[in-house]
This record gives sequence, C-alpha cells and structure tokens, in this order.
Amino acid sequence: MRVSLKTWFLSIVLSLLLASPALAQKFDWQQAKGTQLRVLLNKHPWQGAIEPHLKEFETLTGIKLVAEVYPEDQFRAKVLVELTSGASSIDVFMSMPAQEGLKYVRAGWLQPVDEFLKNPALTAPDYNWSDFLEKTREAMVIEGKIVGLPIQVENTSLMYRKDVFQKYNVKVPTTLDELEAAAKALNGKAMTDDGQPGYGIVARGKRAAATSQFAAYLHAMGSTWLAPNREPIFNNEDGIKALELYGRLLRLYGPPGSENNHWYEASSIFSQGKAAMYTDANSLFPVIEDAQKSKVVGKVGYALFPRGPKGQYGSTVAAWGLAMPKTSQNQKAAWLFMQWATAKEQVLAVQSEKGVLGARESVWKDPKGMAKVPADLRESLTVGSKVGTPLWNPPVVAVAECRDAIGAAIVVAIQGGEVRAAANKAATDVRRIMLETEKK
Amino acid sequence: MLRVSGGGRDRINPWTYVLLVLLLIPFLFPLGWMFLSSLKTQVQNTAYPPVWVFAPTLGNYREVFQKNPFFTFTVNSLVVAMGSTGLALLLGLPGAYAIARFKRTGIALAILTARIAPGIGYLIPWFILFTKAKMIDTYTALILTHLIVALPLVLWVMIGFFEDVPGDLIEASRIDGCTHFAAFLRIALPLAKPGIVATGILAFIFSWNNFLFSLIIAGFKTRTLPIAVYSFLSYEEINWGGLTAAATVITLPVLLLALLVQKHIVRGLTLGALKG
Amino acid sequence: MPVFTLPSIVAVALLMAFPVVYTLYMSVHSWYASSLTSPQFIGLGNFRRAFLEDDRFRNALWLTVYFTAFATALQLVLGVSLALVLNRPFRGKGLVRSVFLLPMVATPVAIALVWMMMYNPTLGVMNYLVGLVGLGPYRWVSNAAIVVPALAVVDTWEWTPLITLITLAGLATLPIEPYESALIDGASVTQMFWRITLPLLRPTIIVALLFRAIDCLKTFDIIYVMTQGGPGFASETLNVYTFQVGLFYFHIGYASSLLVILFALVLGVSLLLIKVRRAAW
Repeated sequence: MRVSLKTWFLSIVLSLLLASPALAQKFDWQQAKGTQLRVLLNKHPWQGAIEPHLKEFETLTGIKLVAEVYPEDQFRAKVLVELTSGASSIDVFMSMPAQEGLKYVRAGWLQPVDEFLKNPALTAPDYNWSDFLEKTREAMVIEGKIVGLPIQVENTSLMYRKDVFQKYNVKVPTTLDELEAAAKALNGKAMTDDGQPGYGIVARGKRAAATSQFAAYLHAMGSTWLAPNREPIFNNEDGIKALELYGRLLRLYGPPGSENNHWYEASSIFSQGKAAMYTDANSLFPVIEDAQKSKVVGKVGYALFPRGPKGQYGSTVAAWGLAMPKTSQNQKAAWLFMQWATAKEQVLAVQSEKGVLGARESVWKDPKGMAKVPADLRESLTVGSKVGTPLWNPPVVAVAECRDAIGAAIVVAIQGGEVRAAANKAATDVRRIMLETEKK
Repeated sequence: MLRVSGGGRDRINPWTYVLLVLLLIPFLFPLGWMFLSSLKTQVQNTAYPPVWVFAPTLGNYREVFQKNPFFTFTVNSLVVAMGSTGLALLLGLPGAYAIARFKRTGIALAILTARIAPGIGYLIPWFILFTKAKMIDTYTALILTHLIVALPLVLWVMIGFFEDVPGDLIEASRIDGCTHFAAFLRIALPLAKPGIVATGILAFIFSWNNFLFSLIIAGFKTRTLPIAVYSFLSYEEINWGGLTAAATVITLPVLLLALLVQKHIVRGLTLGALKG
Repeated sequence: MPVFTLPSIVAVALLMAFPVVYTLYMSVHSWYASSLTSPQFIGLGNFRRAFLEDDRFRNALWLTVYFTAFATALQLVLGVSLALVLNRPFRGKGLVRSVFLLPMVATPVAIALVWMMMYNPTLGVMNYLVGLVGLGPYRWVSNAAIVVPALAVVDTWEWTPLITLITLAGLATLPIEPYESALIDGASVTQMFWRITLPLLRPTIIVALLFRAIDCLKTFDIIYVMTQGGPGFASETLNVYTFQVGLFYFHIGYASSLLVILFALVLGVSLLLIKVRRAAW
C-alpha cells in the first residue's frame, strides 16, 4: 500500500512538533563526553560526603573524574604551587575565594564563570543561582566577577555540651563576658564518659589556623582587620581586648599546648568529651556527630557566637566553593562538574546523608535536608549567615603570610606574654607585607 | 692492637652485658614503643598511665592497608630509591675514580660543599624548573632530586676508597695495554667493592627516608611512604594506633636492612667521616 | 681525564652548579614566583632586610645556633662516653652495632611521629617515665621554653650512635706504645684516659663533631613534622623559616638570600672545625 504524500508530510510535521519541546527541555549533560577532569579536593567533610556520588557524575556526563585529595595545609600549598607555575593541569579545585581569591584573581589565575552561568546551553535550566544564600553568593564574587560556586556554608559558632551545662546549671553564654564566666565555672569539672574532669573551653591556637576563628572574637569586640583606608587596625583597643580574651580563655580554661592545636586536635579534644565548649566553624558538625569516632554524639548544642560588650555580632560567614583555573584545557567539562556538584540534588544528598551544611535555601527548607540537622544549628546558621561578617581573614593578597603574622600575636596571648606589643608588631608586619605584595 | 681501655683482659666481664643492656634500652625504646602502640586499640593507646601489658590486635594494620593504597606508596618509594641509587652509582663511581686518580682536589672540595649545602637550596630551583616543565609528580623528577643527595654521598666515600687502590696496579695494567676504562672496571671496581656496597645501601636508605624533597616534588601518583604517613598525621584525629602502624610499615624495611648488612652500613658511615 | 668519566662530572656539575648559580642570582632579586611578574634586581636589599628588619630571621638564626650547639654537645659527650664503654671485650659486637644503627636508619618522619606521641603532655609515656623519678609533667614540644631542648633530645637519640661508631673506629686505630710506656711509668687508668686517649682521639672527635654540627644546622624533618616551627616561632630554625618563605609564601628572592646566609653559616662552621683539626695534627 502506498502512503500518500500528504500522510508522510503530516506525520513528519507531527513528529517534529512532538519531539522539539522534549529536545528543548533536555539539557545536554553529555556535551563534554569523553573528557578527563583533574579535580583537587581538600580533605574536608564535604569531600567525604560527595566522594561516593562521583560515579553518578561520570555516568551522567561520560566525563572521567580523577580526584586528588590532600589534607588542608598541603592542599593549599599544592594548589598554590601549581597555579604559580602557570602550567597547571588542574581543572577544578576546592577554593575559599574569601581567603585566596584576591591573590588568585590579581595574579590572573581564576576563570570567571559569569558567562558560563548566563549561557543556557552550558547551564542546566533548573540550576537556580539565586537559590544560594546571599552571603555565600557574595563570597564567591571577587572584584566584580563570580569566580566560584558555593558548596557549603559555615559560621564560627559556639558549640557546647548541653549535658554538662545542665548538670552544673550554667547558662549558655550569649555574650563574651558570659562566655568567660562559663569557661571558668566549668573548667575542671567532670565531663567525660568515665567522669574525668575536662576543660572549660577549647579552640584553635596554631598560629595561622587560629586567625580565622579569632576573627569572631575580634569582630564581636567591635574591631576588624583593616580600616576603610586598608590600614591594619586590629591592634586598636578593642582588638587588643579581643586578643587578651582569646589568650586568657585558652591559657586559664583550655588544654595545655593550645598553641599547637589546629582544628584536627581541637575537635578531637571536644569530641572525646574533654571540653565543655568549642568555638570553631560549625561545618565541623559532621565530625562532632560522627557516631564512629565521637563520644559526644547528640549531646552538643550549636549556638550563635556570643555578642560583644557593645552588642556586636562576632559570627563570621564563610563558604567553600569550587573554582576553575584559567589554564584549564577542559573548561566546558569543568563547568559541568562544578554545577553538578552544587546542584540542588547533590546539595540535598550531602546534607541529608552526612550533615554537610549546604548553601542552598531550598535545601534548608526541605525536610529531608534538615533531617540530620538539629534545630538549634539550623537557627544559629541562618541567623549567623545573615549577620555574619565575611571577613574571617584579613582581606589581603598575601593571606598566608599575614595569617602567620597575626597568628604569632595570638600565640603570645595564649602564652601570657605582652599582648599589646605583639599586636602592634603584627600590625607593622601586616602593613609591610601588604606594601610589598600589593603594588597594583 | 691493644684495646685502649686500661690494660688487656682476656676474660669477658659479665657485668659488661648488664651495662650493655642498660645502654641499649634507651635506643630501642621509642622503636619498641612505636611497634607496641601499633598493636593497641585506640582506647588502650589513650589510656594513662600507659598500658604495658595488653592483648595485641592487628586491627590497625588492617585499617591502614584498607584505607590507603600503601602498596602503591611502597612501590613508589622502591622505584625512586632504586632509581636514584642506581643512577648515583652509575654516575658517581667513574667520577670518584677520576677525581681520586687524577688528584682533582678542587672538585673534591666542591663536592664537600655540595654535601654541606642545605637541601632547600637545591629544592627551590629544581622545583621551579620542574613545575615549568610540568614534571612535578613524575618518577623522573623525584629520582633526579634524590640524586642530589645520593651523588655527593657516593662521590665522597668512593673517592676515599679509590685513593686506596694502589697506583702501581693500575699503572701495570696500563703498561699491559689496558684502556683507562678497562683498568677502572677490572681493577679499581673489584678492589673497592666493599665501599660500593656500603654507599649503595646508604644511598638507598637515605632515599627511602627522604621527606623534604618528596614532600614538594611528589604528587598524588608518586607519593612516597614518608609523605603518606605525614598526610595520615594531619587528619586522623590522634589515631595513634593507625599512625604507629603506618610508621612501623615505613620503617621496617630499612630496619631489617640495617640488621642484615650492618657491617657495610657502619663501614660506609664511619669511612665517610674518617676519610675526610 | 679519561672520557668515560665525563658524563659523571657533567652530571655533578649540572646537578650541583645549577641550583647554586640560581640561588645566588635570585638572592639579589625580588620575585614572588608569579607567572606574571619577572624578577627585579635589588642588590643587597634582601640581605639588608634579613639582618636589619626581619625579627623572624634573627630569631631563626639564634635558634639554629642554639639547637646545633645544644644537640651537638649532648651527642658528643654521650657518644664518646658510650664508645669508651663499648670498647671492651664481649661477644655479639655485631648485634650491638646493629641495634645502634637502628635509630640512624629509621625514617625520620616515623621517628618524629613516635616522639610526638611520647611527648604528648597528657597521654604520652615520657611524662610517665619522668614522673617515676619525681619530675614533670612537662609540656615538651608545646612549651616554647623547652621545645628546642626537647627537639635536641630527639636528634640526640637519633644520632649519638653515629658519634659512638666513629669514635669506636678511631679507638681501634690508636697506637699501643704510649700506653705501654705509661703503664711502665705507673700511670693510672684515669690519667691514661685524659692524657693519652682523649688527645689522640681529638682528630676523630672533631670529625664527628664537624659532621654532626653541619647536619644539625640543616635539620629539617624532625622539626617540621613535630612542631612546624612552633609553638609560635619558638622552634623555627633558619631551615624551617626558609622553607616557609620560599615554598609557602613564594618569596623566591628573599628565600634565596636566606639560603646564602645559611650556607655561609654552615661553611663557616666547617672551615673552623677543619682548621682546628689541622692544628691537632
């Protein structure tokens, strides 16, 4: 039987009509199929949570992922080393633009992704950039360009043992004065599983690493790193008070050897039940609530960082993100990975599975996403992310060096030395470092 | 030769053994402690006062091997150590011979200088070179940097050994029509064999133990054992059982090597010093 | 010189000379290893900065000398004493030598790790042991006041055997005559030790001292792994500081000048010791 020409014509048109909406809706995840991506990750709760899902990305896109993981200090050094050489093969790396972004942007190492975001052929229609918390979006912008996509959000917050506070009838501190009083009251009281005494408070003291957490104390006291004219002012009266407080807390009510503690040691002390309070990033939540390693699962409260004597908030807000070096040869594929890893589905997965605090509002509203997150954490995170300052590091180019300089003053404070002199010296050093490295 | 300790004694004083044991304990203790801790559980490791008697467990070793590609690390360490040792001997032996035979004391002094220069001095220029040449995280780069330590060692010790080779023997062979190379191969090398073994072993050990160079030059694929352990240290919240198990794994091969060939090692180390 | 040795000489020259030339060149420039800016010639600017403006450098210089002097002295006394004790007849010398070798060949990173464990202020076995004789507890490497001695102890543990071995080798080559004459003259054991043994051993001891001093000046692994130069900067020797400056902050120019200074220091000590040794002949 011969089909008439008209029938042919009609069927072709019909099939085209039916097919095109479907074609138009389907974002092509396979557009970089066959590429191999080199991804550098910091050893971090987020990395631990996303690793089991990486195969899903490979299946979805046909892109092969080679992920390298390093502990934080080595990770930062490695990334810096490779980018400095100008001949790196990194395609995507975990980054905190607020820490190294300025340096990287000025050196011309980062690929801005504004154009990628705006391009519907490259970005899935349901990506929804505005779904990210405002402060995290801001944290990804350096000198007007978006240089990364947020993978999580964190504040410096106060983590405390609910059971210990209850047992000794101490009020959970909401101001710095109350913080000191609580540390004093609880120091030496029995608080471990087997009734051993513990410390009032634990926090980082290790030079550069301590700087980011000290930032909360600094801002709560009413000071900050640089004045509007970019002169260091963290050694003003309020800054010195903050330093003295930080040093006093750790020296009198903290574990011995605090000057050597990074978050690995401090969080360990806290999760072994040996401290009543811990001020650090609340992104450590998965570490503290890890049933396999922590002895304080379910006993920890997450509060907003205490306010200062003048009512100032100290909370800092920071976001890790994924960034792309300008030298990447596989930018399209890299972009696909970046957006996949930060898409709603993945953020929901890491948050609901491991408690990694994602940066998407929609996930915060989703009951599945909130399943593992205790109510007080959600609240303190929400408030903290709104009032918090993104300046958890001095906004300079030579961040590592300045952090070391300021860290030295923190160590002096912990050791009970001349705080004022140390603070002034740190300010002089920072000024000198800035002069040397920021000639524009 | 008279033993210079106050007169010759034929009898061995039993108290000597007691003294020996007492003296050796401090030197063995940390290594022993490391091994013991690797057999304890986390609870036992964090107990105070320390636990001396306990039921050992292999759990830490299981964990270490399961969670980390220790096999890869070991292979990397082996490849780099053998590569740099082999290359050091290949390049160093003829060079040492030439310097000894032809009395090039100037170069000898230059080599002494190389031995005393701080490692980082070599590291930074090589590092910049390797990054520009995209050679970071390659075996070649690692072997070359380890060579910087191994070569002066070979040269330094072997110059002494070659100086001891009687010049007449060499002259005689030359008169008989041997080339320089044949003289080197057939006379000098065999006579200097003990030195070669000693320096070879030492070069291997130093490469195996090398931390600084590997830290900077090695990457994910070529990570050697010391770096693996260091990474372990940075994150594993005071998981002493795991850490000491990893430490034991790294250090066991060289310890065993030392026990087996101690004579050679001692010779290498002391002659390296005495024949200055 | 025969042809077959040429590759060797060339290799040595390349491997050694290139870094030296590069470092010297960079030490008079300012460069941040950036792919965008090129090195700028600044004459002696780096050196002036180090000596006149940089507190951290002066601190590092002092700590380097402190650490070296402390560790070397300790090792010398212990090492020579040990050699004298061991220089008596007994069976199993090979075994003893093997045991002695172990600290020297064990991987420094592993050693650093174990000592960190032992030094832990609350859980470490060191505090337990010193507690048995009524001392401590100490904070060891967490205490800025004693961190350098604590690190020196680790270095001593590791390298005293070397001094012992070298001394033993030296003892084995001492001539008999002086002792025979001394015995005839009725000298006591102590007199023989101080008047014969030690002076004859002097060249050997000085050589051991030379090697250990040089290595101590350059110690890196233990310090970096155990304290990274901390607490604060209390154990930041010149080597560790240079590492930070060069490979962390990327001030290649300044780091190069620090290296030149460190090298000059090491060279100075070596020349001094060589001179003393020559005088001993």
